[in-house]
Amino acid sequence: MTAPLVIGLDESNARALATAIGGDLLVQSVVDGSSADWRWAEALEAWRDLATDGPKVEQIVVALFPEVSEPAALDTIDLDGWIEHCEVALARWIAAFGVAQRRCADGGSIMAIVDRVAPLDCAGRSTETAVSDAVEALVRSLGRSEGSRGVLVNLVTTPSRLTALPVVDPQPPLAEFPGSIEDQILATCRMLLSDDASALTSTVIHVDGGRSWR
Amino acid sequence: MNSVNTENTKVVLITGASGGVGAGVALACASAGWATWIMARRAAEAQQIADQATLRGGSARVFVGDVGDPGSVNTAIATIIETDGRLDGIVHNATSGLSPIPTSLAEIPFADVADHVRVSLRGTYLLAAAGHPHLVATQGSFVALTSEAGFEGKARLPVYAAVKAAQRGVIRSLAREWGPTGARANCVAPLASTPAMTAAFANDPAMATRVLARNPLDRLGDAEADIGPVVRFLLSDESRYVTGMTLMADGGSCPIT
Repeated sequence: MTAPLVIGLDESNARALATAIGGDLLVQSVVDGSSADWRWAEALEAWRDLATDGPKVEQIVVALFPEVSEPAALDTIDLDGWIEHCEVALARWIAAFGVAQRRCADGGSIMAIVDRVAPLDCAGRSTETAVSDAVEALVRSLGRSEGSRGVLVNLVTTPSRLTALPVVDPQPPLAEFPGSIEDQILATCRMLLSDDASALTSTVIHVDGGRSWR
Repeated sequence: MNSVNTENTKVVLITGASGGVGAGVALACASAGWATWIMARRAAEAQQIADQATLRGGSARVFVGDVGDPGSVNTAIATIIETDGRLDGIVHNATSGLSPIPTSLAEIPFADVADHVRVSLRGTYLLAAAGHPHLVATQGSFVALTSEAGFEGKARLPVYAAVKAAQRGVIRSLAREWGPTGARANCVAPLASTPAMTAAFANDPAMATRVLARNPLDRLGDAEADIGPVVRFLLSDESRYVTGMTLMADGGSCPIT
């Protein structure tokens, strides 16, 4: 089996994840600017079109961890901030999944890891919540389109980078909340990449200590 | 232009209401005697719906504009406030004209992605940000029209599914952010016979069978009779304790409960 391909940004979480699973990191291009006309997306599209031409691999992990911003109510976010934290972020996921769709071998597995705050904690996180919900739908769409060739597509979500403690009651059932990427997320990632997950596709696992119930 | 600022008359803005579900919502609101503002890019079609809405018993006006343009959204809301003195509800129904066009994530031009995002998602942001102060004043309501695609994904419409899901995420956050102010935010996920649905069926002939086979009520909804009243409920005081929800108006098609 080929080494897993990790598609990520040039940052520490993606590098650590690639190292932990013995994978190769494919770094997504830098997005320059956040103009309303989406000119910045040209570089992203060019990166996708180039990266889709690479060799097929059996396992792909899409793990985009953009820089975390301070929580902000939607009313206080200006258009530039909205585009940067929502539209650019979503475009990055679409480009990355486009590469994963084309590069994953028949019978292979695609899994993704996305930042997501639990519904109880999503005030001030409208941009991130929009993106994480969109990523859920992208995973389910890919699960449908790629299922016919035996490709599994699943998603793990983590509140670890976005949730400030303490959170509003009731407290999450597990004391490890909000968890960490190198611990709980990595373990879930390994499970989804293993043969034990051969019947799972279009599944979303919220690795958040029971903070979310849907 | 005469003001309709009375105690029992709601003033609502509905985007993408020159046809399809948006038009059905506009007509349903007009049937309750509400003042309905139709925001759309197609002036002639929008005026036809406005004329029908006026015949239903409400008053209807057209604002020709683009929900992805901040200036257009701000002007639309300012015009409503200047004319009617209040804004009780915003319904964001407009979607990209590319919504029914099959594609894949590996191939879709990013200009097309931008159009999906601009209309559905940026439109939600712009309307919510500009509308919130006025919805606080009236203890009003914001409703975004999403889709079952946002729950379950679509093999051939992945970006459409993504932006519909993203709208639900925004609304979930808005409900928590706005709650203390009394303004509410919800989604409706309709399944209705619309021009967009007709186009999607034309692009994918097997889709009609797939869509109806899973539907316990065994029919597509009617935009005015089946979807409009559901949205009207979420705009009304009858739903004053409902926020952050997605109400499925799809004949039971998408079993998410």
